[in-house]
Amino acid sequence: MVELDGSSLTVEALSRIAAGEPARLAEGARAQMTASAAWLAASGQGQVVRRKWTWIGAGEAPSEDVIRTFLEGHCAGMGDPLDRETVRALMAARANVLAKGLSGCRPEAVDTLLAMLEHDVIPWVPSQGATGAAGSPALAHIARVACGFGGRAWRNGVLLDGREAMRGLPVLLPTEKEALSLINGSTLTTALGALACTRARRVFRAAVAACALSFEVVRADAHCLAHEAHVARGQPGAVTVARQLRALVADSDLVTMRREPDSFSIRCAPAVLGAARDAIRYACQVVETELNAAVDNPLVLPDIGLVEAGNFHGAPVALVMDHLKAALTTVASIAERRIFRLTYAQLSGLPSFLLPNSGVNSGLMLAQYTAASLVSECKQLSHPASVDSIPTVQHHEDHVSMGPIAARGALHVVDLLADVVAIELLCAAQGLDFRIQGEGVDPDGVPVITEPSRPGRGSALVHARVRERVSRWLDDRVMHPDLVVLGEAVRSGVFDLEPLMEEACG
Amino acid sequence: MDAPHMVVLDGRSLTFEQVEAVARRAARVTLSEAARARMIGSATWVGQAADGLLDDGAGGVLPVYGVNTGYGSLARVRIDHDQIRALSWNLVRSHAAGVGPAMPIPEVRAMMLLRANALAKGASGCRPVLVERLCDMLNADVTPVVPSRGSCGSSGDLAPLSHLGLVLFKGTDETPGEGTAWFQGEVLPGSEAMRRAGLERLVPGPKEGLAITNGAQLTCAIAALACVDADRLVRLAEVACAMSWEALRGVTRALHPDVHHLRPFPGAIACAANLRSLLTGSALVDSVPEKVQDAYSIRCAPQVLGAVRDALTYAAQQVAVELNAVTDNPVILLHVNDRNKAFSAGLFHGEPLGFAADHLKLALVELAAIAERRVYRLTTGALNSRLPPLLRAGPHLGLVIPQAAAAALVAECRQLAWPNSADSIPTCEDQEDHVAMSTAAVRRAAEVLGNAQKVVAIELLTAANALRLRLREVPASEKPGALGVGTRAALAHLEEMLGRAVGPRDPGADMEDVLTMVRDGSLLQAVEEQVGPLQGAIHG
Repeated sequence: MVELDGSSLTVEALSRIAAGEPARLAEGARAQMTASAAWLAASGQGQVVRRKWTWIGAGEAPSEDVIRTFLEGHCAGMGDPLDRETVRALMAARANVLAKGLSGCRPEAVDTLLAMLEHDVIPWVPSQGATGAAGSPALAHIARVACGFGGRAWRNGVLLDGREAMRGLPVLLPTEKEALSLINGSTLTTALGALACTRARRVFRAAVAACALSFEVVRADAHCLAHEAHVARGQPGAVTVARQLRALVADSDLVTMRREPDSFSIRCAPAVLGAARDAIRYACQVVETELNAAVDNPLVLPDIGLVEAGNFHGAPVALVMDHLKAALTTVASIAERRIFRLTYAQLSGLPSFLLPNSGVNSGLMLAQYTAASLVSECKQLSHPASVDSIPTVQHHEDHVSMGPIAARGALHVVDLLADVVAIELLCAAQGLDFRIQGEGVDPDGVPVITEPSRPGRGSALVHARVRERVSRWLDDRVMHPDLVVLGEAVRSGVFDLEPLMEEACG
Repeated sequence: MDAPHMVVLDGRSLTFEQVEAVARRAARVTLSEAARARMIGSATWVGQAADGLLDDGAGGVLPVYGVNTGYGSLARVRIDHDQIRALSWNLVRSHAAGVGPAMPIPEVRAMMLLRANALAKGASGCRPVLVERLCDMLNADVTPVVPSRGSCGSSGDLAPLSHLGLVLFKGTDETPGEGTAWFQGEVLPGSEAMRRAGLERLVPGPKEGLAITNGAQLTCAIAALACVDADRLVRLAEVACAMSWEALRGVTRALHPDVHHLRPFPGAIACAANLRSLLTGSALVDSVPEKVQDAYSIRCAPQVLGAVRDALTYAAQQVAVELNAVTDNPVILLHVNDRNKAFSAGLFHGEPLGFAADHLKLALVELAAIAERRVYRLTTGALNSRLPPLLRAGPHLGLVIPQAAAAALVAECRQLAWPNSADSIPTCEDQEDHVAMSTAAVRRAAEVLGNAQKVVAIELLTAANALRLRLREVPASEKPGALGVGTRAALAHLEEMLGRAVGPRDPGADMEDVLTMVRDGSLLQAVEEQVGPLQGAIHG
């Protein structure tokens, strides 16, 4: 059970709600919301809210019909619907914004959204057509269902008319402020961003594990992991990644202090993965700030009254999502170069494509092609979305964030990266089997027997987790199932470092 | 024009229309007798090579890539005679390395058709039964499940085509591998899909693994269908543009044919001609005497959409070549006076298609971008020639959000415009050291096409609402002649769906409905019934 209090929601907690965990409104937040709504009603500052309704053509107080028309008018996104997980994240993130109690909304607004989560009412929300500023079409699709005005929603997986889906649930009869507050702000960007951060963290952990396995296969010189070297530069991500890699390869006979500097995809892995780690952390920080931010307009701030500011603009998360894409692409790109190396006999000292009888077998040849193709897609998708802006709404919204596009792009890149990491795991585990058996090839490709070697304790666990899922390649077979099963393992946290390291050390 | 019901493959005459008919409308496919005979010749030669019957002129067995050698950098490895059959089956299995969501069925059907046609040319050294079985699969509605990601487009779409090979082929023994396929809408193991369709899976002969997998047919399949759709979309973009032109009381002097012959880009000439046809008879255009010229999104539409047309023409020309091309390696040239009839070359490389796809993609971004600017103009009070701000003429929000949606869609298109074919990553132990990335290029082009369709739908919806408001200014007696021939037909067709009440009650639903009309071709058909066929951009 996650408590929404408007100030402490994390990307991990939001992702758990998205995956199905229930949420409730914290008591303190409930009181704050009640106070905020009461203050607004008593403040005599309702004209700020009224003015917005005048602008859309209503008179003094908007009728229910006007409110309905207003919400329907915002339901103008396009494209395939967002999946259940994303819509749940979006609803919970919006509930948390309102729970902050700076919107002049009653707790009923949050209660309705949480009831929808509890009873698995998932509005049909189109994935495209949002600029990430001000009035959100995505949120309008949710509000329309929440307020009993129709729309479409799944209930327990069945797509229904929105009113039918809400049967038995507390439909919100919105005040004039609540109708605005339900849909104002770039919460779609934030919710997508939170999911991207959670998935990026998880896939990144697997990427470090896969990298350690490659270190073993190429018998990397461990100097590049020296703590002192990374402290001398002082980039925090690199210090951490080097420590993680040292822990994974601890006690290895393969990764030793050899004084034979490796190629960059090995030697610079702590620097590159470390930079990506810092980027992911930074993205998470910004997204978590935004998850707990008053992104509504106008804001209800009792000290100074109703304030029309620009907190709804999605630029903060848009920028970090573009940064996250680039960081993850770099992780994919350097992983692919290690895959290339592992499958390349002259570079690895192992048989071409990691099968002893390559020729009639192509072995893992195509795994590297697939990785290259995925990396190339990542590069293309990393072109930033936030650098674009197109004026909208009669020059009024003359600069917009394009944050939803950046965040969807980040999710896309995470997904591609997961398969690249799966391919590195497949290839590195396959290579490590040769090392463990003491098999190799000389520069002419002639098989040679070497000392059997033992990988580090952490690497051995990573290897074991691969082998629990895919067996060693002895002859050609259909590759696709291996990629699917390892891709799923990467996405589901099988290669999370902390449990791995606990197991390795304890 | 009636869609063809039977397509006869001869490796030489496949058209876009036939590709679409097979991919989307279940036209039947068969192999021509002449092509069948050609195929037997090259297959026989490969069979001799595989049996070690051809000598290399130095007393040894003639090496032929992929027949008695390994693949890629493994071409250095000679394959023993008793392993030659395993070689083809191994290729298909180990190369079935795609990931990600499945390609849509029409694109996979087009890929199968194109592969069959490439082999029908008779230079690939494979048996006619391969093409016949592919035709059987198309005719029986067996479609392999092909993951969309993982191809570099060189040496062809290896992984996607291998997923086809898993369904088409089987091993000589019990070696597993069967892929997955749809049969009449149901997803089944490949062997089961073939069994239910009453089709025997084939044991691949020498070189037949290569013959199925080597070449950029998935790229070409997506590109072919995208060209067909883009050719319709560019005409619909002109319909939308004409409606906006009229709603804004634009000046048609910018469309005069003599203007365009001074800068004779064929696309611009065609676009201006189409716009003139659509606006024929309109009383709304040229109705503001003091206006001498319009903003660029109106006045320069022939230049921009003309350039889009020229880009599409170029892309379609490239794709049309590939529709009837041999794309595998090596090719078997029986007529060349050489002991070795196998010529290792690079016909599989996706670069020509990657360029075409990237260029098409860029063109479609601009088609969408200029349409969005017209939507902005129509909905902006200071710019729309005295129509209501946001086209709000009743108790509703007006068309504020659809314009924002169009802007977001254009931004998404731009984000995807970075050219995929500009990238390359070395593969296969540096043997395949420059690859095309054409498959991603064309998948992105198709994505941009889908977004551009949505933007055009938004312009059609916005312009229809604008025109209805504009017509309120026209006295009842003059209304029948106020609109052009084409724009009147378009508005009537849209009104049938939108209803008579001016103003969107539910713009999201309206947008979806107009998008359906854009995609299914019904709106274009309704307009062309009135103005006659508009000029397309795909020639020949």
